[in-house]
Amino acid sequence: MKRYFSITKLTLFMAALLLFPACHDLLDEPAENRTFTGETDYTITDNMGLPLLGMYADFYNSEWEVFPLISVRGDDVNAGGLGDQQDFAETDKYNYNKDYWMSNSVWQNYYGDLFNAHSAMEQIAKYQEFAANKGLADQYIAEVKVMRAWYLYYLTLTWGDIIITNGPDPSQLLVAKLSTQEEVMKHISAQMDEAIPLLPAVHPAERADIRGGITKFTALAMKARANLTLKNYAAVAEATGQIISSGKFVLATDFYNLFKIPGKLNKENLLELQYSDFGKGSGDAINYLNDFFGPQGWTPKVTGAGGGWGFYEPSLKYIKFMLDRNETIRLETSVLFTNRGIAEIKKDAKYATLPAWISNTTRSGDRINDYARALFASGKHYLPSDQLILGRTGYGSNKNFICIRYAEILLMHAEALTNGANSSAMTADAAVNLVRSRAGLPPINGVTNAQVMDEKFAELAMEWGIRFYDMVRLGNYAALSYDGRTFTPDKIFLPYPQNQVDQIPALKEAVNK
Amino acid sequence: MKRLFFLLMLTGVFSLLSAQPRITVTGKVTESDGQGIPGVSILVKGTLVGTITDLDGNYTIETEPQSTLVFSFVGFSTVEMPVANQAVINVRLREQAFDVEEVVVVGYGTQKVKDLTSSITTVKSEELARTPTGQAMQALQGKVAGLQVVSTGSPGNSPTIRVRGIGSYPGQNNEAPLYVVDGMFFGNIDFLNPADIASISVLKDASAAAIYGVRAANGVVLIETKSGGYNKKTEISYDGYYGLQVAQNVLKMANAEQFTTMAMESGSAADASFILNAMQRYGRSRVNPNVPDVNTDWYKEILRPADIQNHSINVEGGNQSASYSIGTNYFAQEGILDMKNEYERFNLRTKLDFKATEWFTIGGNMILSNAIKYGEEAGAWNEAYFAVPILPVYDPALEGIAEPVNYANAQDLGYRSGQNPFPTLRYSDNRLKIRKLMANFYAKFQLIPDKLDFKTTYNHAFTSLDERNVRLPYFIGNSFQRVDASINKSSGIFSDQIWDNILTYTDRFDLHNVTAMAGTSFRDEAYSGLRAGGLNFPYQREESWYIDQSQEKPEGSVGDGGSRQYGLSYFGRLSYNYNDRYLLYATMRADGSSKYQQKWGYFPTVGLGWVISEESFLKGHRIINFLKLRASWGQLGNDKIQASDGAITTTPVNVAIDDVMVSGTQTTNTFSSLKWELTEETNAGLTGRLFDNHMSVDADFFIRDTKNAAIYVKIPGIGGSVLKNVGVIRNSGFEMALNWDDEFANGLRFNAGVNFSFLKNKVRDLYGQPYIDGGSAEFRQRTYVGHPLLAFYGYEVLGVYQNQAEINADPSAPASAVPGDFKYRDQQKEGEPGYGVINDDDRVILGSYFPSFLYGGNLGLSWKNFDLTASLVGQMGNKILNRKRGEIIWTADGNLDADLAVNRWHGEGTSNKYPSSAGLRKGWNQKMSDYFVEDGAFFRLQNVQLAYNIKGLQLFGAGMPDARVSLTADRPLTLFSYNGFNPEVASGIDTQTYPIPAVYTVGLSIKF
Repeated sequence: MKRYFSITKLTLFMAALLLFPACHDLLDEPAENRTFTGETDYTITDNMGLPLLGMYADFYNSEWEVFPLISVRGDDVNAGGLGDQQDFAETDKYNYNKDYWMSNSVWQNYYGDLFNAHSAMEQIAKYQEFAANKGLADQYIAEVKVMRAWYLYYLTLTWGDIIITNGPDPSQLLVAKLSTQEEVMKHISAQMDEAIPLLPAVHPAERADIRGGITKFTALAMKARANLTLKNYAAVAEATGQIISSGKFVLATDFYNLFKIPGKLNKENLLELQYSDFGKGSGDAINYLNDFFGPQGWTPKVTGAGGGWGFYEPSLKYIKFMLDRNETIRLETSVLFTNRGIAEIKKDAKYATLPAWISNTTRSGDRINDYARALFASGKHYLPSDQLILGRTGYGSNKNFICIRYAEILLMHAEALTNGANSSAMTADAAVNLVRSRAGLPPINGVTNAQVMDEKFAELAMEWGIRFYDMVRLGNYAALSYDGRTFTPDKIFLPYPQNQVDQIPALKEAVNK
Repeated sequence: MKRLFFLLMLTGVFSLLSAQPRITVTGKVTESDGQGIPGVSILVKGTLVGTITDLDGNYTIETEPQSTLVFSFVGFSTVEMPVANQAVINVRLREQAFDVEEVVVVGYGTQKVKDLTSSITTVKSEELARTPTGQAMQALQGKVAGLQVVSTGSPGNSPTIRVRGIGSYPGQNNEAPLYVVDGMFFGNIDFLNPADIASISVLKDASAAAIYGVRAANGVVLIETKSGGYNKKTEISYDGYYGLQVAQNVLKMANAEQFTTMAMESGSAADASFILNAMQRYGRSRVNPNVPDVNTDWYKEILRPADIQNHSINVEGGNQSASYSIGTNYFAQEGILDMKNEYERFNLRTKLDFKATEWFTIGGNMILSNAIKYGEEAGAWNEAYFAVPILPVYDPALEGIAEPVNYANAQDLGYRSGQNPFPTLRYSDNRLKIRKLMANFYAKFQLIPDKLDFKTTYNHAFTSLDERNVRLPYFIGNSFQRVDASINKSSGIFSDQIWDNILTYTDRFDLHNVTAMAGTSFRDEAYSGLRAGGLNFPYQREESWYIDQSQEKPEGSVGDGGSRQYGLSYFGRLSYNYNDRYLLYATMRADGSSKYQQKWGYFPTVGLGWVISEESFLKGHRIINFLKLRASWGQLGNDKIQASDGAITTTPVNVAIDDVMVSGTQTTNTFSSLKWELTEETNAGLTGRLFDNHMSVDADFFIRDTKNAAIYVKIPGIGGSVLKNVGVIRNSGFEMALNWDDEFANGLRFNAGVNFSFLKNKVRDLYGQPYIDGGSAEFRQRTYVGHPLLAFYGYEVLGVYQNQAEINADPSAPASAVPGDFKYRDQQKEGEPGYGVINDDDRVILGSYFPSFLYGGNLGLSWKNFDLTASLVGQMGNKILNRKRGEIIWTADGNLDADLAVNRWHGEGTSNKYPSSAGLRKGWNQKMSDYFVEDGAFFRLQNVQLAYNIKGLQLFGAGMPDARVSLTADRPLTLFSYNGFNPEVASGIDTQTYPIPAVYTVGLSIKF
């Protein structure tokens, strides 16, 4: 037996035993291919702009369903897309379904963005500690605050009482209390007061670092919007007055092209979501999914240009309102007509003869064929096929999405003044007439609040639900009761999405009340 | 094998050859087929006198005329024959089907069946061979109690395997058991040729699996590939089959007429106009002029019969110091989806063992697998489901307009999408080259002969995945086109190494038998991957499908990834028995892992067994030949849950600023901080052999708790979810396998078996939370304490409102209700809060996607040269979410299944099951309810095989090789009520499941 115990064997055996523990240290190796935020070197303050740009990416990268749900109610626009997305059409008719997927999705998108905004602010603040130019960090944080205000503004307009976020951790929703719409709007106004002095007093297109980014005037516009909801007209007049007095903004002369490629970063725009095909016919592109708005089965001037899904139909009420006013450029820019739609207008004896310019072919040469889901398509969301970069076929590819423009500022100013506020910046007449003159309409004197609201209707239709929220704020439920709909105060807010009620105790409590 | 035993017997039995002869008895001992068995021991009962049979099975023995001869041989039943003055006694021995002396592999060693205290089921190569499949695990369906195999029809894809239910939250790719192929760890065994496998052992309970510690929580499947044998004559064999796959149970969709009726009743003017458009474009049907003259059965269009074939050649044998097994295999399978969808695999295999010296054995084992898979475009199943039947495949009006082929476009009828699945099928090419090399070398030292061994093994599994996805341009309409040809390539390299060192000590002291093992294991798992893409290359020739040839290389298409994880383990095992009667088994494993913040875990197990049949009161019992009670307890870890970041991470993003792409960073607010899951299992069971070993019984009862279960917790408010160790999941069940094997005097051999398992999945704790939501917001799955994981959650449909009076009489009916809408159950009684309205409190658990009862059965008959085998499989108690029907909540623009179209409500008394066509589009009827959740039970005739064996045939005086010709029908018949074409849906959510084809094959095996 002894002969089996050779030196060789023992050596081999011991070697294996001794080698093994050498592997122990490997257990402490960190994970590969991850950038841990904790390892970020905040002393490299050149990188301070990165979280800000990341936030812009988030702000611009809007899910397609957000805008439709926020803006479909109101007498300017109908759901369109008939035969599909019945709950979208029902929302347009003020019949809400708390289980509707779009509603949950919009909530999640905007709350997700809110937490990202807090996160970006935290990151910038960490760089600020080491930054030579601490003011720049303040400016960046202020920019994020304006984006955050945007989300809160639409969340409270859509759902009323919501939770105001205070940090990047979503688990705060589990313990947070609801704030009323008044509290949210006051919060926005106060936040904008904090941001305004820290932001550059330039036109967004004049920014050298982030062209088209947020400036002092964007913050002022958000402040004006929040105060308009609060009916704090003095604050509205003051904020809009500052924007007007700055002289940085002018109305675009070419209203039609303002909503198209030539209108990108136009002097009229205070805030727009930027998209791009980067000048190339294929490859990298960052775009909004405009298909939602496009007419189905069109005949584009440039063959191969894709159409859309046929949602978001300007209402007959709006078209007739515009025809009554002898509007041309604004109607042409806002509405794409089909022959079926034109025939539908003519059914009303009052409109049996329409102006000759009304046709199913746009001035850019795209023919809008009849499609069953809608009579009209939204012109402000239309990009002529000849403005596409050759090789691109997506509907509206390369087009920016305007959020706030100077015409709205002027009209908010006029609305505040006609509600008794004072301003030295501009009179209500002057503000309204600036807008009218661009639309090719004669000036009016002694403008009334009702005239201002009509002007807003004509000018801002299909833009972010401005019309609906105006009518709700003014209690003008008659305007919202059209085409067989009846609007009542209980229809102002959407019900909280069931999925959120299941998760967030404060919502559950509110629902059970 | 028989020859090997013969040699062993020679040495052992010669000493017994001495006796006082009275008469000489001669004879032949044969198997059931008449062939002589060499090496059979023949003893004169009550003496030490005996002999053994020669190579042909003949024997001669001298004994007293009134004595009794006992014939015994390993693997065969012992036979006693009274001599009674006969000079010639021929005996036929019956092969013993259920031998408790059989050796099975356990982790890092082997044990005899009679010594096991845990639950292990072993399936042998013969059983695997009956299933024509490229995936060995598929062959296990219905054969192992407690093992759920969810098949897939997609060539080259592995079935989903669940051992004793789901202990881990699904969706993390962590449900799969650990596969150990000749000592190497794998996540799946898709690269193995089933014919190269000698045995598959499923270690079901924690006690059996615990030796694999942190990797074992979902069960362990041990695979032994075929070896040669020392002193074994060279055997050259060919095995192969060729066959056809045919889609089964193809779901019937609404035809043009039914679809037209649905559209007309939908209340949507738009949908009615699309029908008109179709009639204008394609004409009116002559049978029914209100229906378009097109009636496309899209499933029929996209399905095809498909080939399957497999060919293996194996050479094995050995001399006294070397043993070898060398083989090659070719497997090819086409998919039944009519596109470039196929799988081809070529394998080479070598296994060598060499006794270098008396005390030193060295061996190597290499498997090279080279496979190429053209993956299906899964979306086509979905498109075929929704494509309207009033759309033809080709549209003559598009000839010369649509390029390159005039496929029809549903947009021309007014629908939103093009719908036609053919562009997806024809203009996609998904190629994946899978190359695997498994190399395994060992050296074994005998430190003390027959007592103490040391074995060191190094394993390396090297995998290369080379993927190329090409999309070709086409034009069918402005919004149904692909402008840019695109190519995306990715390459992933996985290099996994394991180094094991094992010391094994076996000894016997009197009646005490001891085997002790101690070992260490080091693991290194590295991955690196690169991906890139290009646009617009000369796509007409496949030779030009390179990113280099592309005009455009989008920034976003480039990516790089990698990971590396280390593991270090110490483990030991003690198995002890006293007089083969009392068994004790214990293992302990300490596992270190670099994956989590918590580095070390300790996983113990202990098992006890009592072989009652060895006790005096049962020994030699007439009916009970062997009976063992066993119980075990063990803890396991699961480190297959994803590695946790453990901290906030930052990722780069792109944004367009003034038409220039710039980068920013986004910081995630939520992150996982995970530790490994801990599974604790108690198993109690019995193993029995009854009725002269004709019958085997195995029964097990188990309770398995997964603690610190990593569960996706929804992040409030923002969607998405984050993994947290927040639950305790319990799987408990009862499993039983009963088998009978018999042989009749006329040579008819018969075996039959059933196995079944009852399984219950329950969440015991969610660390303070009453429930955790899963699934999607629209199709909610909710995990409640006391209920199964991810149970479907929603409303109960009571029926359909038949008329206005019924609505008026129902206090819970909403104001918007009309006849043809669902009536939901108001879960509150009159007087309770919430009564009289259908609200969120009326949602209840609607069922689980885990089957509560799985069963399988088999039957075998062999007579003369014929064998007939049949097996069945089934399951009950599970639900399937018919998400295809649910798709209507996103868009109403598609077709529906025929059952829904025919049985829709369309007037009082027409249906109490489905809403009206208009109702289907209403949000009220789209609530998550048991309308979407269907019974997933099925029964399947799994496999029928008829074979003819040719043995010992002489042709022109020359011996012909043994051969076997077989005809197989695999999965020829499946019965179920679910409205889909495949009740096997791994996640329980049926969106686009590849149908399971029936496979009919002709097979041939030849042995030289």
